[in-house]
Amino acid sequence: MNLKELYQEIILEHGKNPRNLGKTVDFNKDAKGNNPLCGDNVHVYLKLNGQKIVEDISFEGSGCAISMASASIMTDLIKGKNENEAKEIVEDFLGMIKENPELKSEYLQEDEKTKLMCLSGVKQYPMRVKCATLSWHTLVSAFDDKKKEVKTEN
Amino acid sequence: MKIENIKNEFPIFDEKIQNNDLVYLDSANSSQKPKVVADKINEFYTKQFSNVGRSVHYLAVAATNLYENTRSSVQKYINAKDKNEIVFTKGATEALNLVANTLGQNYLKEGDEILITELEHHSNYVPWHFLRKSKNIKINFAEMNENGDVSLEEIEKKITPKTKVIAITHLSNVTGAILPIKEITDLAHSKGIIVVIDGCQGAPHLKLDMQDLDCDFYAISCHKMYGPTGLGVLYGKKKWLEELPPYQGGGGMIREVKKDSISYGELPNKYEAGTMATAQVIAFDESIKFMESIGVENIMQHEADLVEYGQELLQKNNSVKLIGSPKNKGGVLSFTLEGVHPHDIATILDEDGVAIRAGHHCCQILHDKLNIPASARASVGIYNTKDDLDKLNDSINNCKKIFNLK
Repeated sequence: MNLKELYQEIILEHGKNPRNLGKTVDFNKDAKGNNPLCGDNVHVYLKLNGQKIVEDISFEGSGCAISMASASIMTDLIKGKNENEAKEIVEDFLGMIKENPELKSEYLQEDEKTKLMCLSGVKQYPMRVKCATLSWHTLVSAFDDKKKEVKTEN
Repeated sequence: MKIENIKNEFPIFDEKIQNNDLVYLDSANSSQKPKVVADKINEFYTKQFSNVGRSVHYLAVAATNLYENTRSSVQKYINAKDKNEIVFTKGATEALNLVANTLGQNYLKEGDEILITELEHHSNYVPWHFLRKSKNIKINFAEMNENGDVSLEEIEKKITPKTKVIAITHLSNVTGAILPIKEITDLAHSKGIIVVIDGCQGAPHLKLDMQDLDCDFYAISCHKMYGPTGLGVLYGKKKWLEELPPYQGGGGMIREVKKDSISYGELPNKYEAGTMATAQVIAFDESIKFMESIGVENIMQHEADLVEYGQELLQKNNSVKLIGSPKNKGGVLSFTLEGVHPHDIATILDEDGVAIRAGHHCCQILHDKLNIPASARASVGIYNTKDDLDKLNDSINNCKKIFNLK
């Protein structure tokens, strides 16, 4: 998929109609991410139940299409997973966006993998990888109750 | 040399960039290099190489002469009074650090004030910021007006009895504003204030005459002047360069070194410690000759035509918002596209072979003032044509299509 197709797909799918945008009313975990050089920022909210399953997840933020679409796709996939599953999916995604040719996690359905793979075009643009990964690192930070703002810029 | 044929002198335009012809609109960031400059670097390394200013063998003497020839060429190009007022540095950033550091060591006192503008890029702010910490110096900002310009009146308003230095850009790398630096210098000197000009964008595009301008320091970035990277020039008035202390210590800048005392060399060696960017200096002579062969007036006219054309084109394009409409505008077209992040614009334009910059262009204060995190910037050089700007506009239209903009 070339970049234009990538843009077309993610803009149509998530830029115009982002999933889970807003603030989960009864969230019990959250974290912020900010790339000041880019101007991308994201705030991830989680509602975990007693079994550490993500009952609800949402995000607020602003930034480029890649960072917003990535956050939107992420929240879609993570809803309903437990913490360990979610963290494995994050690892899998980060591995794919950096070097791995495909996604391996057993916690992802085939159609979910296809959705995520549409972000793989970003690989050709190392300077844009940080846009795609910001919300994912922020999600981990929310799980771990880290207070420090996440950055994926150097 | 005819300006219409200038692209032929730059080998990079023979390359296909991702199967596209290159439309290079990022010269404010760094310019492309003419063949003569690249060839000179190759020739020096393969046929003429030696270190300069030290050994007495044939190659050393010949290399030293080439190195000093560039100094003379720069002196002539900017009409400095004395060859020793030309100091080579590793870039304009180092030139500005040199000035801030040495003024801080010898001249500025606690409580003194430095006046800069909101237009400054980080190289002309951060070096002065260091003095806030070490010397308790205060930095004041002359404000940018709605045209993206800083007026003489605004500068005058911000001068206080404690202002010791005014450090300003010649040409804004975001709004394109050309500042009235001669008038500012006259005003400053009438109040005994030192004037430091950041000429990163001024030197490649405007006529320079240090004696007429009369500023105390002028910093130049050679890689933006069709020259090599890793090289800058600091012009400094002789009286200042003689009075101020050395910036870095090492070989080449000393006269006599004893266990209990060290004396420093004469100008310009005093400020050129260690082995310098020799090949770059020598090749930079070719950049100057190249620009002279076109003629600075012709360069200015050509780029002014391009800016006017580009401005009209983009103004007509719905959803494009140009940043800055100063009366005197250099070859910079910064813009935003409603609802599209500048990084997305740049990435999409890149697919069409159109190279622009997106980000804050090392001017966070300016972007904060405009209340935007970043902008997209197309900037021109001598090799650009109206056709390049048409392609920019077409590519912006592609981008709008992708984002469903009208």
